[in-house]
Amino acid sequence: MYKTSWKSKLTSSLFVLPYLILFTIFLFIPIIYGAWMSLHNWDLLNPVHEFVGLKNYMKIFDSSSYLNNLFFEGLKHTLLFVIFSVPLLVVVGLGLALLINSLPGRLKGIFRTMYFIPYSVSVSVVAIIWLWLLDTNSGLINQYLQVLHLPIIPWLTDLPWAWVSIVIATLWWTIGFNMVIFINALNDVSEELYEAGSLDGASRWQRLIYITLPSIKPTMLFVLITSTIASFNIYGQPYLMTRGGPGTETKVLLMNIVDEAFKQRQLGNAAAMSLMMALIMIVISVVQLRITNRKE
Amino acid sequence: MQSKASKAVIVIIGILIGLIFLVPIFWMLATSFKSDQEAFTAGLKWLPEVFTLENYQYAFQGDGETPVLAWMANSLFVGIAGTLIVLIVDTLAAYGLARLDVPFKKLFIGMFIGSLTIPWVITFLPLYMEFNTFGLLDTYAVLILPYSANAFGVFLLYQYFRGFPKELEEAAFLDGANKWQVFTKVVLPSARPVIWTLAIFTFMGIYNDFLWPLVTTNSPEMRTITTGIAIMQQGSFVSSPAKLMALTSIATIPAVLLFVIGQRSFIKGVTQSGIK
Repeated sequence: MYKTSWKSKLTSSLFVLPYLILFTIFLFIPIIYGAWMSLHNWDLLNPVHEFVGLKNYMKIFDSSSYLNNLFFEGLKHTLLFVIFSVPLLVVVGLGLALLINSLPGRLKGIFRTMYFIPYSVSVSVVAIIWLWLLDTNSGLINQYLQVLHLPIIPWLTDLPWAWVSIVIATLWWTIGFNMVIFINALNDVSEELYEAGSLDGASRWQRLIYITLPSIKPTMLFVLITSTIASFNIYGQPYLMTRGGPGTETKVLLMNIVDEAFKQRQLGNAAAMSLMMALIMIVISVVQLRITNRKE
Repeated sequence: MQSKASKAVIVIIGILIGLIFLVPIFWMLATSFKSDQEAFTAGLKWLPEVFTLENYQYAFQGDGETPVLAWMANSLFVGIAGTLIVLIVDTLAAYGLARLDVPFKKLFIGMFIGSLTIPWVITFLPLYMEFNTFGLLDTYAVLILPYSANAFGVFLLYQYFRGFPKELEEAAFLDGANKWQVFTKVVLPSARPVIWTLAIFTFMGIYNDFLWPLVTTNSPEMRTITTGIAIMQQGSFVSSPAKLMALTSIATIPAVLLFVIGQRSFIKGVTQSGIK
């Protein structure tokens, strides 16, 4: 387009420079620095950080170390949440999108807004609203259960109810986003396919299975992977709703990492835990991609 | 072809599900006008027996314990400043990479896009240490700057600029415009919808973030609304549901209003960003 003299290259580089600086300071250096921290005995209050090599990682895998328990118990709880929440986030999101799409035209926008509203509030508001609705003694839900002569449920203090509560609050909060993505995908499925299906006498259910779902497969994969990553990063809901309880049953991995870093002040251990957590997340995303691509 | 009856059934199901989304918000508002005493004993009574504004008065005045307005101002300021930085550096970088003769272009593109696959948790603690080292914890810098490194916007805009017809730019170059003029006069105006999408995503991400502002601030006046409310919930409001509900209502009403107004662009943005 124009001559690429050193002068032109210089002015062009200036376009990329501001982002490159921010990228370097707030992403690139932290990645290296984090790996470096994880190789040290790094006490937040002690200015001297002793190099310990891979010892922090070995502690994670040494069953006699408290770090082993902290990491794997937290991981187990995070994985439980991922397993409970992700299928619902995908299926309910798709269900709501299908429901909205079969509504009469004028109502679509109103209902979409209604279902999407909770997405605009922050996690602390979500937690407080649901804590109050699920309160064992004064909560609205248990009050209705009593009216129906059903046993009241210890929503936040007993298993599996604590998980049920966290999953319900999460669904209520974030399902609207997945729904909107699915609505967009459904609108892109070609009408001709449906018409052909109708001519062949396909039922609604058959059209869903054989036309709709295959057409929106890339979207399903996108929602699956982003929901899995989001669920892996869960922190606010258990932190605010159950405080990790009952006992430490809902204490997720990120809560344990934060505690190790800021309560125990062992940033080296916590950095090693973070790296392991990230590695697991990457592996799971890759596996999800592989499995869904193989079916094709 | 749907019959009238099956249409009616779908609408009724839709309304029932809609109630699930709206009732919690309505219950929050209703509780915020009750006294703490009444909130505990309200049972199934939806509307307050004695309508009171004391919770709101307390939230706004209190004893300086809940500087709600300062928290809201912080959240807005941090969200807007962070978004502006992202928009400026991301549009520049994306245009440079998509169109200009930047040296090591392939390396940069690979690095930026590759960074999208790296889970955020990896940079969490080292970033904290960086800000700690420079004494910048508990400042606006720590609440704003870390979000600027995310490559999502660069990626989004890079794709857009690649698809943008070259003819318009070439015509401007022939008219004697330089790169900067082409960028600001021709390219940016055309990209307005994508930029708007990026702005909404970025703002919501910063505004609703929880863990980062929670661990990097500790003075009450530096809190964002999200973390401020959380601190009160864990602290002195732990057994004052009505006061908490007033606090959350104050935080929620502007957010919901903004959202209802802006959601069209948001939804359009989801479509345009190619997330599908």
